[in-house]
Amino acid sequence: MTNYVFRRLLAVIPVIVGVIAVVFILTSIVPGDPARLMVGQRGDPATIQKLREDLGLNRPLWQQFIDFFKGVVTLDLGRSYRTRMPVIQAIAERLPITARLALASMALAVTSGVTLGMVAALKQNSMLDYGSMIAALIGISAPSFWVGIMLVVLFCVQLRWIPGTGTGDGSWIYLVLPALTLGMRPAALIARLTRSGMLEVLGQDYIRTARSKGLTEKAVIIGHALKNAMIPVITVVGTGMAEMLGGAIVVEKLFSLPGVGRLGIEAILNRDFAIIRGQVLFMALIFVVTNLLVDLSYPLFDPRIKYGRTWRRE
Amino acid sequence: MKNKYGGTYRMAIIQSPLSLDPAHAADTSSSRIVYQLFETLVDVDSDGEVISNLAKEWDISDNGLVYTFKLRQGVKFHSAIGEGIITENGGREVTAKDWVWTFKHIIDPDTNSERAYFLDMIKGYADYREGETEALEGVVAKDEYTLEIVLDHPFAPFITMLAYNTFSVIPREDVEMWGQDFGFNPVGTGPFRFSEWIQDDRVVLTRNEDYWRKDEEGNSLPYLNGMEFRTINDLTMQWTEFGLGNLEAIESVDDPYYHEALEKYPDSFLRKPQMGTYFYGMNVTAKPFDNKKVRQAINYAIDRQGIIDRLRNGRATPAKGVLPPGMFGYNPDLEGYTYDPQKARKLLAEAGYPDGIEITLQYNTDDIHKRIAEAFQQQMKDAGIEVKLRHMDGAALFEAMGKGEATFFRLGWVVDYPDPDNFLHVLLNSANFGPLGNFTLYKNDEFDRLTNEARVESDPEERRKMYQEAEKIVVEEAPWLFVYHYTTEQLLQPYVKDYSLPPFGEHNAIFYSVWLDK
Repeated sequence: MTNYVFRRLLAVIPVIVGVIAVVFILTSIVPGDPARLMVGQRGDPATIQKLREDLGLNRPLWQQFIDFFKGVVTLDLGRSYRTRMPVIQAIAERLPITARLALASMALAVTSGVTLGMVAALKQNSMLDYGSMIAALIGISAPSFWVGIMLVVLFCVQLRWIPGTGTGDGSWIYLVLPALTLGMRPAALIARLTRSGMLEVLGQDYIRTARSKGLTEKAVIIGHALKNAMIPVITVVGTGMAEMLGGAIVVEKLFSLPGVGRLGIEAILNRDFAIIRGQVLFMALIFVVTNLLVDLSYPLFDPRIKYGRTWRRE
Repeated sequence: MKNKYGGTYRMAIIQSPLSLDPAHAADTSSSRIVYQLFETLVDVDSDGEVISNLAKEWDISDNGLVYTFKLRQGVKFHSAIGEGIITENGGREVTAKDWVWTFKHIIDPDTNSERAYFLDMIKGYADYREGETEALEGVVAKDEYTLEIVLDHPFAPFITMLAYNTFSVIPREDVEMWGQDFGFNPVGTGPFRFSEWIQDDRVVLTRNEDYWRKDEEGNSLPYLNGMEFRTINDLTMQWTEFGLGNLEAIESVDDPYYHEALEKYPDSFLRKPQMGTYFYGMNVTAKPFDNKKVRQAINYAIDRQGIIDRLRNGRATPAKGVLPPGMFGYNPDLEGYTYDPQKARKLLAEAGYPDGIEITLQYNTDDIHKRIAEAFQQQMKDAGIEVKLRHMDGAALFEAMGKGEATFFRLGWVVDYPDPDNFLHVLLNSANFGPLGNFTLYKNDEFDRLTNEARVESDPEERRKMYQEAEKIVVEEAPWLFVYHYTTEQLLQPYVKDYSLPPFGEHNAIFYSVWLDK
């Protein structure tokens, strides 16, 4: 297992280098000069030129690339072109709110999705089954910005159950609507995956064996069927969490949450290459680590999966 | 005493500020907060007139070269910021030496202030900027409370320009201590001091207990306990938060809610013409815009009032020329372009395009710009002008303009300082091609002469004539499609008192006299 983890972590390095290389190339060809933008609509050419020098934009791309990786080693990713805040600080300050939102959303998604999927599987072809899957279809199809606005109108404006948007006084209540909005789609996906996974497992011989051995229905469903149906759900949860931690742009913007997503979109619009590169590095690391954790969790659900020199199912 | 002390004034801003360092606060989100934390030598009142601020009075020499400012005594820098962080200056008094240092700091190439070049008329600017001298020759402390600024040449808007937020006094000790992080730990003399900044969320200011200004009855100012600027990117959410009572003010009421806002808040929805113009620029060196008749035709083909009434709820003034109403030099009798598609067709035919033309309008992605562009596209058809629309983000648009790829583009301009120089010279004089402001590459020798001479003319009436003459030339030559002049707005809760809309944009508003009647 340790070897496997070590090899996976080592494989991160070429992935990161490749992703950052692509970002460097893309940011060099996309139109828009960050130094020009920093002075506003009207600016003095000498000031713009000095800004380009200060930001290192006048150096060859390969040199900027090497300097960036030197900074990665020394944990100095430079400063935001726009705000002059250290990149690591800019991301670190916004990460807690994004993390809270991601965790809350996924927790809601898993509990509601698994429950709905399980009920639908156990009551297959009933009104409950059809209703659950229609709800799941709506959840996958409805655009999140529309859902968010509807929730605000209902819970903030009409019912006054939620005081408002933003972070307010920092209490959990301000996370409810954003979490509902962001968690809706993964909940729908998890419900469908749980249902199909459960239906497949419930038809297996070992489930019949478990029942014939006298196990309670609860033990059969939860301890055997659900557990074995969880592998695809865990995969979705893992990739979903990684995406959310990279920043839920639409939800953060709609609810005025100061998260990583908003940082990224502003950086792109304003060609803040320092933030873009730092954020891409951060997202690549998140994806790699999350995927690794997901893979390492598989044996918990399927003991036949073991990690040695190679992953294998025995 | 009629005014009440207390309360926090919470307002929404659409973009997070970039820096609270006056030297780098070049955007309106930053400047609206900087104006609460810092102060300039002079200010501009709600009628656009220059009034005293940290300079009690001033004298301008007859030749317009020497400005002598008598500074107010007893003005102190903030003694603390954040959660009890004692500032390096310790709350000491501001003297003329602080102003000398401030101007040097702004012009210092190492600071690389985005607006340093505004001061290029100060004597010794070039030598200091290029490192040939250690001192800035033209800015001198004559004594502890007398500051003298000497110019290389007269510049009539100079005193007005000094109200710009970049030219606020700053404490050397704190700037040197914080370095690049001064923008996150600002220390000024303003009515509010810095408390907290949560990036992309809010900036919190608290009352400056040692503020120098008093009200008419001698009571200390400000009345408010503090201010909170909340970043809410979405206008619908701003309206929602305002309706929930979570904000005291919003600056932009989106068009769908405009009439509702007027009905619900008839006395506290403030509006006034703003010193700004919305226009489409035409690169006069590129076909077909190199032909004056084509440019004039386009100006005749647009129904400005129709666009304003149907798309902007009447929240703008049709533009006859460059200068907006309320600005010195504005000519109410200026003959602009009427809506006359037939005349437009005739002009196109005279220009050699009897069958019409096809042009591409490029604009930065935004809902309002899109609606106006689409309306414009429809209107142009009646004049035989086929308009293709292309939208892109601001960065790409600037690049396209700079490279000459965007020959017909949307722009807007709100003054940096309320003087016609900041419109006519900056945006249309041939000395300012490209990023300096003249994106149309318009050049007219008589226009250049008039706007150059108006800069150094000290007689206001002579200046007015020159600017009006210059504007007539540019309207006739039409390097712009003049669309409309902006309206500045502020929607306040009814209990907000004594707020006054500034003349050139809500981002200049001051709050030391605002109070909450609740």
